[in-house]
Amino acid sequence: MVIGFWALAGLTVGAAAMIIVVRNLLHAVLFLILSFVGIAGVYITLSADFVAVVQVLVYAGAIAVLMIFAVMLTPLSARDNAENVLQLPALVLSGLVITGVTFVALETDWRLAGRGEFDSTAEAIGEALVSPFVLPFEIASVLLVAAMIGAIVLVRED
Amino acid sequence: MPISTEPLVVNIGPQHPSTHGVFRMRVTLDGERITDAEMIIGYLHRSMEKLAEERTWTQNIPFTDRMDYLAAMTGNLSYCLAVEKLAGIEVPERAQYLRVIFAELQRIASHAMANGTFVNDCGAWQTPLFYMFREREKILDLFEMTCGARLTTNYMRIGGVAFDLPDEFMPGLRALLDELPDRIGEYEQLLMDNEILLMRGRDVGVLSPETAINASMSGPMLRGSGVAWDIRKADPYCVYDRMEFEIPVGHNGDCYDRFTVRMEEVRQSVRIIEQAVPQLPPGSHCADVPLNLRPPEGEVYSRIESPKGEIGFYLVSDGGPHPYRWHVRSPSLINLSALREMVVGQTVADAIVTLGSIDINVGEVDR
Amino acid sequence: MPILSPWYDFRDLGNAAARLADALRDIDAPEGVVYALVGLLGAVGVLLFVGLTTLVNIWVERRLIGRMQVRRGPNRLGPFGLLQPVADAIKLMQKEALTPRLADGLVFTLAPVVIFIPAILAFAVLPWGEKMVLADLNVGVLYLLALGSTNSLIVFMAGYASNNKYALLGAMRVIAMLISYEIPGVLSLLAVVAFTGTMSLSGIVDFQANYWSWLLFFQPLALVIFLLGSTVELNRSPADIAEAESEIIAGYHIEYSGMKWGLFYAVELVNSIAISAVIASLFLGGWWTFGLEEFVPGWLIFIGKIYACYFLLIWFRGTLPRFRVDQLMAFAWKFLLPMALVNILLVALEITVWEEFDLSAGAVLPVFAVVNFALAGALVAGWARVMAAQFERFPRRARLVPDIDVPLPAEGGGHAARAAV
Repeated sequence: MVIGFWALAGLTVGAAAMIIVVRNLLHAVLFLILSFVGIAGVYITLSADFVAVVQVLVYAGAIAVLMIFAVMLTPLSARDNAENVLQLPALVLSGLVITGVTFVALETDWRLAGRGEFDSTAEAIGEALVSPFVLPFEIASVLLVAAMIGAIVLVRED
Repeated sequence: MPISTEPLVVNIGPQHPSTHGVFRMRVTLDGERITDAEMIIGYLHRSMEKLAEERTWTQNIPFTDRMDYLAAMTGNLSYCLAVEKLAGIEVPERAQYLRVIFAELQRIASHAMANGTFVNDCGAWQTPLFYMFREREKILDLFEMTCGARLTTNYMRIGGVAFDLPDEFMPGLRALLDELPDRIGEYEQLLMDNEILLMRGRDVGVLSPETAINASMSGPMLRGSGVAWDIRKADPYCVYDRMEFEIPVGHNGDCYDRFTVRMEEVRQSVRIIEQAVPQLPPGSHCADVPLNLRPPEGEVYSRIESPKGEIGFYLVSDGGPHPYRWHVRSPSLINLSALREMVVGQTVADAIVTLGSIDINVGEVDR
Repeated sequence: MPILSPWYDFRDLGNAAARLADALRDIDAPEGVVYALVGLLGAVGVLLFVGLTTLVNIWVERRLIGRMQVRRGPNRLGPFGLLQPVADAIKLMQKEALTPRLADGLVFTLAPVVIFIPAILAFAVLPWGEKMVLADLNVGVLYLLALGSTNSLIVFMAGYASNNKYALLGAMRVIAMLISYEIPGVLSLLAVVAFTGTMSLSGIVDFQANYWSWLLFFQPLALVIFLLGSTVELNRSPADIAEAESEIIAGYHIEYSGMKWGLFYAVELVNSIAISAVIASLFLGGWWTFGLEEFVPGWLIFIGKIYACYFLLIWFRGTLPRFRVDQLMAFAWKFLLPMALVNILLVALEITVWEEFDLSAGAVLPVFAVVNFALAGALVAGWARVMAAQFERFPRRARLVPDIDVPLPAEGGGHAARAAV
């Protein structure tokens, strides 16, 4: 159980680190997909099976494709993930953020809940979406429809 | 927000996955649409017209086999008719009936190939092709029985045909004619009522009747566009004026119409053969033509309706044993002239389907 | 779960596995070891099936397509050509697997390997018997959909890494196609899940066993939509644009040769079997067949149903011509999607009626079956007629004209003389 978590966490963080290290932008996207899959694994260690599968379905299946299309539309010259001036400040800033988050995580008094019984997450999420959270659900749907219509309007050749 | 794009030039051919031969088409694409198409021919040029000037009139008959190698009989027939017209030779009646029978058999075989490869271009993994090849195999067996060759038959001679029918021919022909109508019905049910084929062929490669006439189209290309013109009725040769048959004509001038026209022509060919077989008179199968034929000086243009269209021979004689000029009006080359018009504005997949529906034979295009 | 039958009851191989687990627990093995060993056993079984089925399918497909094309399939190697797959495998292995010099080496080699992963993972959730599920996920159906959606990515990897303009174009086109067809597939499976109330595949099979009928009778429209959508997801005819657009614009695996291409080919077969298995367990009852599984092992029946569905897929391939890409998209968005939405509406209505009025299953299910069938027939036929109206403007047969209607050129012009009769 713990081995699983550390392996998956290592995979995710390693892949995420490779995204910024690797030269080719498309390789970076592929590593991003790998980190998505790692996160799905972490969800499984938390027994959130529905969220894990939806993570693969939505992130690694659809959003990754979106990013690939976006990368393919950039001209070849701009696809270099090479060094630039802002690397040192970015490194410093991310170092500070990591230190801050780790400090807060270690210092907080987490109240550990027991493993306990959990009911089927899919059912629970479904119930939540249509009973207490139905309004955000519907608003999100309307937003998506608006985005789709906007996309169609943008690419129509008239 | 304008993004700058540039047209893409794609080379289709000369090595074609489709079975049309070494034909090259360069299309300029704008995204998915074709903006320009240029055809480059000549990959199969064998200079037959020049070679024919060195050979006697009879020695040139095998050349006509190899031009349109999928319809050898009609090529032979067109040439022999031209020479007979030039030299004023009368052909015995039995020979004329035999010529009609074999020309129509060749039409069935060629259309089987044409339609089979058309559906193959549309994507059916050779299944209809194999089905139609059953009939074609039987026809080629009949050819082999009679003249010894399946494809390059070299059967027509100046003044008649080379050999008379063997004994096994009539039973074989009878069996074929009995099962063909059912088979054609089967193909119609399997293919013509197939929605996918309808979607791939309708409004694809549309040729309007005016363009067809102006571009000197002939054969199923012309008839598919709605123009009812058949040389067997307009300018009858052999004994076609004694045969009753109808001309199938299309509605829209697209690939699907040409497909249905060819299918229907097979039916009409069966009808013609059914009429010719009982009327077959006894007699000699070839007129007495001197070996060293020297037609009088003059020129002639004679044409017949081959499965691909109007195949015509323009012959000029200077009184000697060799032709002075030997020119072929090949239907495939003339039919290709409208390819650009048909293809511009469509996608590449449609261009392939259009090319398949023109039914070219590169041996004829390049000679 | 208590073992109801001894371990040698091969009608359900789960008995042997449960017996092994119990034996391990008796010698006080840690839970993790028990879990790992039993899982390993199941995984080995599944992989064995996948390997064997790849070999068998090559033979089955080629013989069947040959038969549909009025010819025998391969029949030279071994009796009935049974050694043909072995010959194919040997040939592919000894071929040089070329890598283009400018191709993205690692991604190029990785793509055919990675594409196998979702294909094999799909077999983990299939119920082969009452206790024979390798991983009885609560979200089995969603898991299968997620695996299907990763396929498009790997196709892109293969196409991009080839460093070939046409491979890339083909790959982009295939991605658009795969993504479009996910939606009708998801919606049709949503209808199934709503009707049965569970997302786990063994749960759906249990539902069919409980109500003594196949889900095919209640959800014919979902079956049709899922079948058609899957045919496209599998890149098979009539939608094999990926491989057969190689007429002009090459498919995404044009630069692959040798065993790398062999892997792409094998994956297509394994995917076909996976989808057939999903259809068999969701709609055709899986291992349950009206009580036949008392005598014949359930997994054998399941394999039989898999091959029945696979036969259907081969039948499609042998008979139908190919769609054009834009026609394929139109088919997904304008034909399958509205029908899937109507189906879901109807299922929601039916489920509400069933639960709200607390009706008994025996009374209500036959009514549902009849209504669903009628609607499926009416929708498919009617909507197809509406969509095909633009192709029906002209008659489907040629018109027969008795004589020419074009004026002849004037007599005497040129040498268009009549042939001497």
